[in-house]
Amino acid sequence: MTTDQTIQYAPEHTQRLDWATLAPDVFKAMVRLDAAARKGVEPKLLELVKIRASQINHCALCLDMHSKDALAAGESVERIIQLSAWEESEHFYTEKELAALELTEAVTVLTDGFVPDEVYAKAAKHFEEAELAQLIAAITVINAWNRFGVACRRVPGHYQPGQHA
Amino acid sequence: MTVRTALLDRTVGQAMSSLSAVAKHGLGDPALAELVMIRASQLNHCAFCLDMHLTIARKHGVSEAQLDLLAAWEEAEGVFDERERAALALTEAVTVLTDGFVPDEVYAKAAAHFDDVRLAHLVGLIVAINNWNRVMVGRRIPPGGYTP
Repeated sequence: MTTDQTIQYAPEHTQRLDWATLAPDVFKAMVRLDAAARKGVEPKLLELVKIRASQINHCALCLDMHSKDALAAGESVERIIQLSAWEESEHFYTEKELAALELTEAVTVLTDGFVPDEVYAKAAKHFEEAELAQLIAAITVINAWNRFGVACRRVPGHYQPGQHA
Repeated sequence: MTVRTALLDRTVGQAMSSLSAVAKHGLGDPALAELVMIRASQLNHCAFCLDMHLTIARKHGVSEAQLDLLAAWEEAEGVFDERERAALALTEAVTVLTDGFVPDEVYAKAAAHFDDVRLAHLVGLIVAINNWNRVMVGRRIPPGGYTP
C-alpha cells in the first residue's frame, strides 16, 4: 500500500487460509480456467468486468489487483471510480461496455434471481455468440477468485501491476 | 422462455470440470460434496444443477430426509451432524458474498471440523459449484439434461 508515513493506519490483518499452497491442484485448475475464460474478451473490458464484480462481492485483494492492472494498462482513474455507479455515469462508457457491466451484475448476483431476458438480450446485441459465452465465463471466473479471496481473507495492498500476467 | 444459445467454449468447460473434480477429490466425502453443491444451487436458483446433483446425491445414498430438509438445514438439527452443518454454513457464506464477507464464527466452525487441506478443497468445491451455477443460469440451461 502507498502510505503516508506520518499517519498511523490500522494494523494489517493476516490471511485465514493459504488455499493455493494447501490445495495446489485447485489453484492450478483455477489458473487454467482463468486462461481459458479470458480468451476472446477485450483486455480493457475484462478489467472493468473484474473490478465491478469484485466491488459487488467485496473482494479487497481483487480490487487491489484489478484496479492496479487496469491503471497500468492505461485505463482512466475516472472510469474506474465511476464503476460502482455506472448506471448514473453511462457517458463514461461505450454501449458495449454498459451491456457487459449489466450482464456482470446479473450473473454475479444470482441469489436475487436469474439473469433477466432484457439484460441477456442487450448483451447478445453487442457480443457475438462465442464472445458472449466467453464473457459469461470471464464473469464466472472473477466471481470464483472473489470467493477464494473473501473466504480466505487474502490481504490487499501488496500487488504489483502485471504480477500475474 | 426465450432460448439462449451461447455455447460454452470446450476448453472452459474442461477447465471447470477439472476444478470440480480436484476439489471434490480433495474433500474426500462424496455425499457431503453433493449436499454442498445442492445447497449452493438452491441459493443461486440453478435448475440444471439441482436436477443433476439431486440425482447424484441419491446415487451416493444421501437420505431423502436430508434432501428434503436441506433448504432449512439450520432448523433441522437432528438431520444434519455438526460437520455437515459447518460445511453448509460455509457454503452459504461463500455463496452469498453480496451480503458481506464470510463471518469469523462461520469460518472458525468450519476450521474446527476440517483440517486446512480439506478446508481449502471445501472452499474450492463451493467456488466450483458457484461457477457451474453461473454458466448454467447465465445461459438458461434447462434441467433434465443430465444423465448419470
